[in-house]
Amino acid sequence: MHKFKATNFSRFVGFVILGFFLVYLSNTVDELRVYQGATVAMYVIAISSIILLTGYSGQVSLGHGALLAVGGYGAALLRNNFNAPVWLCFVGAVLLAAVWGALLGVTAARLSGPYLAGTTLALAVGLPSIANQFKFLGGEQGLIFEIGLPPASLGEMFSLYKWFFWIAALTALISMWWLQNLLRSRYGRTWRAVRTQSVAAELAGINIARSKILAFTISAGLAGLAGALLSMTISTVSPGAFPLTLSFALATGAVLSGINTLGGVIIGAVTLVAIPDIADAIAHRIGASENVTTNLPGLMVSGLLIVTVLFIPNGPVEQHRARKARHHAVLTSTKK
Amino acid sequence: MIRMNRRKLIPASAVIAAASLLLSAAPAQAAEQGVTASSIKLGITVPMTGIASPGYNKIPGAMKAYFDYVNANGGVNGRKINLVVKDDQYIPTLAVAKANELILKDKVFALVGTLGTASNKAIARSAQLSARGIPALFVNTGFSGFADKKAYPTTFSLLPSYQMEAKVIGKYLDENFKGKKVGLIYQDDDFGLDALNGFKQAKIEFDIKIPYASGSQAVAGVAGTWITKLQAAKPDVVVLFGVSSATAAALGNAFAYKYAPQWILGSVGGDPVTLAANKVPPAFLAGAKGFSFAPSPADATDEYIKMFMDVNTTYNKGVTFDNNIVAGMTSAFLTVQAIKAAGPNLTRAGLIAAIEKSGATFANPSLTPFAYSATSHVGATGYWIGTYDATGSLKPDGGKYTVYTTDSGTGAVVTSTYKRPAMPAKGLPN
Repeated sequence: MHKFKATNFSRFVGFVILGFFLVYLSNTVDELRVYQGATVAMYVIAISSIILLTGYSGQVSLGHGALLAVGGYGAALLRNNFNAPVWLCFVGAVLLAAVWGALLGVTAARLSGPYLAGTTLALAVGLPSIANQFKFLGGEQGLIFEIGLPPASLGEMFSLYKWFFWIAALTALISMWWLQNLLRSRYGRTWRAVRTQSVAAELAGINIARSKILAFTISAGLAGLAGALLSMTISTVSPGAFPLTLSFALATGAVLSGINTLGGVIIGAVTLVAIPDIADAIAHRIGASENVTTNLPGLMVSGLLIVTVLFIPNGPVEQHRARKARHHAVLTSTKK
Repeated sequence: MIRMNRRKLIPASAVIAAASLLLSAAPAQAAEQGVTASSIKLGITVPMTGIASPGYNKIPGAMKAYFDYVNANGGVNGRKINLVVKDDQYIPTLAVAKANELILKDKVFALVGTLGTASNKAIARSAQLSARGIPALFVNTGFSGFADKKAYPTTFSLLPSYQMEAKVIGKYLDENFKGKKVGLIYQDDDFGLDALNGFKQAKIEFDIKIPYASGSQAVAGVAGTWITKLQAAKPDVVVLFGVSSATAAALGNAFAYKYAPQWILGSVGGDPVTLAANKVPPAFLAGAKGFSFAPSPADATDEYIKMFMDVNTTYNKGVTFDNNIVAGMTSAFLTVQAIKAAGPNLTRAGLIAAIEKSGATFANPSLTPFAYSATSHVGATGYWIGTYDATGSLKPDGGKYTVYTTDSGTGAVVTSTYKRPAMPAKGLPN
């Protein structure tokens, strides 16, 4: 049988079809699901930024929430002070976060493993509270980030939630399309080479430090974009929106998605959005106390993380691929 | 492939037709989200856990208790009230997520009693309360900005504004501590800035001002430094204008440092039961000045307080009666009247119109006039001044409630002649 081989063009067509499907979907499901869909799209970008960093270039970040905050604040400041159009706010968020990422990357390239994890963790704790020190960042209650009402041409019944979803989904589709092309390019191969065998990569003439810094920069830019989207969906940006738990949730999402592949990113994103809902339903059914209700989502996320690491350490997509490959190998060996 | 013969096809298509009929008929019946012939669903988000939660986490329980009491007596216009409670930990972004959940998932009719200035502002924007016409009743904040009907057309405040409170405190300072050194601890956000505006109106100059950050930043670690700063600046009077947790931290540290100026506690953080639960000995409050617009929770001779106490004993078992219970039940009490006034054909627009029309005459325990009208969504408009005794309860100065009333603008602070409406029989407006 002739095996279907994905080409650049067919992948592009795939993304376009997915886009149309999402538009259709946003018109059929209720507003809550549409709103959650916007959050899923935001998580898709944030998680893929971690996958790029950790899965492809082999650097660990536990502080991605801080980079989301940089993006969110960047977008809000552009909007509030210069009345920039929304797309420009997003571009600004990406650039600002990327600059931060580049600076961080320079430090990160000198660190590895637990030391890097520790440094980024400190960032996640420290960075958001900087907002409390500067008046122009709005202190604890933060800044307003309003993108305005959807264009009137979309009709009166077109809700702001749907507008959020359209923007977030389109942004996510474009980023994913760009990212998967990037990962197939020379850069992607370089990162993989550095991650799997840094000595061999260096001998092959790859500048390891530069490659790592580049990965950190791009990852930070994506995180900034996710931060701007997150701020958009809640119309504000404040230190409280980027707690340590967000950074952990993103890392968990990346593990659930399969840290080495972009293919499963939607799994992690949907899981992160669905868990509070499921936890709520469970707590409601068993009539749990306030304390249980508050802590159940965290418990479930952690539980899932442990189960994933124990049973499918490479994530569901990679696992499926591996099984198919094994199956294929068995088939070909029996044919002989 | 699934095969279907003709005999199966007929009932199947009949079922589909019936289902689609039902589905298309459903929206026609539903009058307003959250309202059925026998029930009304309301939603609240408050800090149930986290740093700012002490005291405020009793508000939803108190509201539920009063609603239960009303429900047990037939409900309002035949409808029972359900309150869905969400925990926002005093983090505005979380409050937004929870409010969206209440509106989109739990499908509540209205929000009621949402707590916190920043949270309320963020919710009004993000959940598009005005565009969707969702009422936000009796929000638990005194931010004067909510009086801007254009910006917040569906929001009704209950507490007197922080500006009003600051003006009343200013008048008191001017009359009793003229020429003395005055200090201030305040929350560094709209809550505190609103008060600063009020103090400015009252022409109060502070010799030392200490701002603190709200929300996710713990006050516990830094409160000691406030006291050191105060001890260095040596003010005669210190105004503590913060939430309960910050007030408790300041007083607790002052107690430990044996620092005892004349304290003036803002109404937000001045609940003695909450302070006692946060390790501030009631005796340490003795002599401090306090401000309130409702009768003292210790005043069982007041008909409303007595009724609230009874409801609390029956429907909120084991919870100590305090200012937070009074606040929660007052909002619930007003909510019931507003729903009653909106009539049997309950709609969101109708509810808002009813409060605008007759909200100023709603029975309620407040000792100050209410300013609800077609042009104003402001509730209580003033304060009485009292002194905490050795048991920590606030007693009105001069043995009776002397109420000062004012506005959030440049208006003077005057003594009120307001007579509040008598309580409906058994405390049931229905």
